[in-house]
Amino acid sequence: MKKRLSLKISISGVRGVVGDSLTPQLAARFAQAFGSYLGRGKIFVGQDARASGFMIKNAVISGLLSVGCQPVDVGICPIPSFLVLTKENNATGGIAVTASHNPKDWNGLKFISGEGLYLNPSQTQEFLDIYHQGEFSLVHADKHNNLLTEENPTGPHLQKLLNTLDIAAIRRRKFKVVTDCSNGAGAVLVPEFLEAMGCESILLNATPDGALAHHPAPIPENLTRLCQAVVDSRADVGFIQDADADRLAIVDENGSSLGEELTLALAVKYVLSKKPGPVVINLSTSQAIEDLTRDHNVPLIRTKIGEINVVEEILNTKAPIGGEGNGGVILPAIHPCRDSFTAMGLTLEHMACTGKTISQLRQKIPSYVMLKDKINGSPEEAYRIIRQLKKKYGESEDISTLDGLKINFADHWVHIRPSNTEPIIRILVEAKSQRKAEEVLCRFKIEMSGL
Amino acid sequence: MKLLKIGISGVRGIVGDTLTPELIMNFASTFGTYLNSQKVLLGRDTRISGPMLHAATTSALLATGCKVIDLGICPTPILQYMVKRLKARGAISISAGHNDADWNALTFINHEGTYLNSYQGEEVLDIYHLEKFKKVPTDKLGFVASRTDYLDTYFTKLSKFLDGSAIRKAAYKVVIDACNGGGAGIVDAFCKRLGCDLIPVNNEPTGYFPHDPEPRPRNASEVASITKIMKADVGFLLNSDVSRISIVAEDGETLSEEYTLPLIAGYYLRKQPGSVITNYSTSRMIEDVSRCHGCDVIKTKVGQSNCIQTMIEEDGVMAGEGSGSIAIRGFHPAFDGFLAMGMILEMMAVRTQKISEMVKELPKYHIVKEKIYCPPVKAHSIVSEIKKLYSSHQISTVDGVKTEWKDGWIHIRASATEPMIRIISESKSKEKAKERLYKAANFVSQLV
Repeated sequence: MKKRLSLKISISGVRGVVGDSLTPQLAARFAQAFGSYLGRGKIFVGQDARASGFMIKNAVISGLLSVGCQPVDVGICPIPSFLVLTKENNATGGIAVTASHNPKDWNGLKFISGEGLYLNPSQTQEFLDIYHQGEFSLVHADKHNNLLTEENPTGPHLQKLLNTLDIAAIRRRKFKVVTDCSNGAGAVLVPEFLEAMGCESILLNATPDGALAHHPAPIPENLTRLCQAVVDSRADVGFIQDADADRLAIVDENGSSLGEELTLALAVKYVLSKKPGPVVINLSTSQAIEDLTRDHNVPLIRTKIGEINVVEEILNTKAPIGGEGNGGVILPAIHPCRDSFTAMGLTLEHMACTGKTISQLRQKIPSYVMLKDKINGSPEEAYRIIRQLKKKYGESEDISTLDGLKINFADHWVHIRPSNTEPIIRILVEAKSQRKAEEVLCRFKIEMSGL
Repeated sequence: MKLLKIGISGVRGIVGDTLTPELIMNFASTFGTYLNSQKVLLGRDTRISGPMLHAATTSALLATGCKVIDLGICPTPILQYMVKRLKARGAISISAGHNDADWNALTFINHEGTYLNSYQGEEVLDIYHLEKFKKVPTDKLGFVASRTDYLDTYFTKLSKFLDGSAIRKAAYKVVIDACNGGGAGIVDAFCKRLGCDLIPVNNEPTGYFPHDPEPRPRNASEVASITKIMKADVGFLLNSDVSRISIVAEDGETLSEEYTLPLIAGYYLRKQPGSVITNYSTSRMIEDVSRCHGCDVIKTKVGQSNCIQTMIEEDGVMAGEGSGSIAIRGFHPAFDGFLAMGMILEMMAVRTQKISEMVKELPKYHIVKEKIYCPPVKAHSIVSEIKKLYSSHQISTVDGVKTEWKDGWIHIRASATEPMIRIISESKSKEKAKERLYKAANFVSQLV
């Protein structure tokens, strides 16, 4: 078997394993390419709380300085705050040192335009061409800038949240909230944010030291401690952020976790009740959203996987909301990016304005069971498997090949695609019941292993 | 022509040209690999490219698992001194010393606080060329600790080594031109400790060099006029990492940087007799001065590493070069501009003599220097070609080509730090020194 590759260069940026593929040299070259692509100017450099963040950040700073950019060190910063900062400060762009939900030994770079958006596929292509050509616009010593630091990186984001959310309604309810920051970057803003929301706040894993008390994805397996804390403290709701604070999962007042797909579903339901309009989600997001848009008689648009694909379609269609089923809520009124703070705010506002508890609100969302699994495989292996499955199901079933292969059966669907960020093949199944979902997943895994 | 100089004690080049973040990282990774993830000190001068090199070096050292103690803007001799004090396994100094502002460099320092010797240097270069850098996983990555308390440690030690009370009693008025380099702002602490009244010139750590950071009369006009007008006792000119100085007398006369070593040796060898180590390009003044004290002079190839290493191996008491640097074995094995200034102040105080009086006691030579641009690839063959010019003389080829006459000598060598061929000619007679210089310079120019 081929050695598992530990470097991914894709639409989501660069990700690699520290001590293996992700070297200072590689990070500096990418920073040089990015600086050469955008031209000299102010570039924010942020990081999540991973232990390797400081090392990689310094490599990025040296690369930016060498091509005449003005790097501004933002330190540890939630990714949505970082994106808002980049936009609001009229920066030329930003580089975030983060590997989102990848395991601890990974880190990576995300490249951000002056609009505070991730580079889109064509921009990424242009930028990667510069990287591969290796011709960077080095400047002489007298053109070098000094390194600056940003003292209040979360300020513009917090201000946007306060301006957009119905603060008065939320504050009146004096919610008690337990938040698990996963030892991630969210911890630098959560206390201030919840105080502004008038909440009584209990924090778990709130030191942004990258210790990552558990695997950083906000999936139900990681929620045990949070669920218990919600029950013990008789809180109204529990939240858990991922390491870079763009995704959120919710626990209801009974300490029962909702599953990450419901974060977006609840937000969509609330936003559509106030402001109907198109909703944009990716191919892997729950059928529940589709049902909600049908109830409100608004269009639903599905995109390829990758946050920027959803974001661009939201901007194209002027959708009031969109997002990803992995707990990523995008509210363009705040900023067109996945934002756990927006998701928290909308959840609290939803509770405040309806006077209902989380467990009551979840009753209103169509119930599906989604199973997510993965098998090891290179992009090449993924491509081969997908091609054969397409041949088999293409005739008889409703399929989409927008991204990998999605097969829409009458009452369930299966989506198989290579990951953008890790050398694995993801397989997602959604059905009306747990039994059915398990049965379908099992069948496809066997089928894929055979290929 | 791309300019890059890779030597046993580090790498030097032009920023924006050869000195890229990746090259810096490869060298820092090399050194981190060589030190095998142990504790390393890091310091830099004020050059404008400093933050870029500093970030690149930090990142690469951390990636090899080294614990980095960051001393920030720190003169190289102080960094060298702190290596042993902080029990580090080595240090990297980011400074191109006397080179122009567009240059920068990494210098590798071993656990003794000296530049790497040739054996250590060769081992490092082997690692560099193999490109097999140590990479540690996330949980083994190094971390950075910053320290700012080291100036006090160093100046306490320096003031104890010198006759601090004699200097303080004299309460000298001193002009120092730090060239906005690594010594800027730090000379204040130096003068305060020695009870001197400082008149600072170019004392902002901005890295904007008002003149080349090379201490020599050409660059000393500001210090000279201020020393005279302000009736100061002495003036000093520093390079950007404070490893060299040149001196201005109280009457405003600018002394050649060649005087720094023989002036100090004339005083120190009386206190502490022993061998003096210098290079082949240094004025004969030091030989005359040493002979007066019954001490011998041992010559080495040019460069701090060679000079200091020989001082340690041959058990010399001091070392120095005609470029304005000295080291004293009893203090620490490094070219140190603060030590040089301190020794000059001490001898002024102890002997109650003015600089102009001391200079009169030195033998009189005329030394003339020329550097001719030459692509590094051709430099060594041109230098060996020049032997023809002196076919009837005895030639030393330990470092370039050196020929001696009764009244003087000429030394032609390829620079280790710049794409230049350096020619240095010295004689009792000014005309002879110049005549020999022009002859050699003509010969070299035709070959370039």
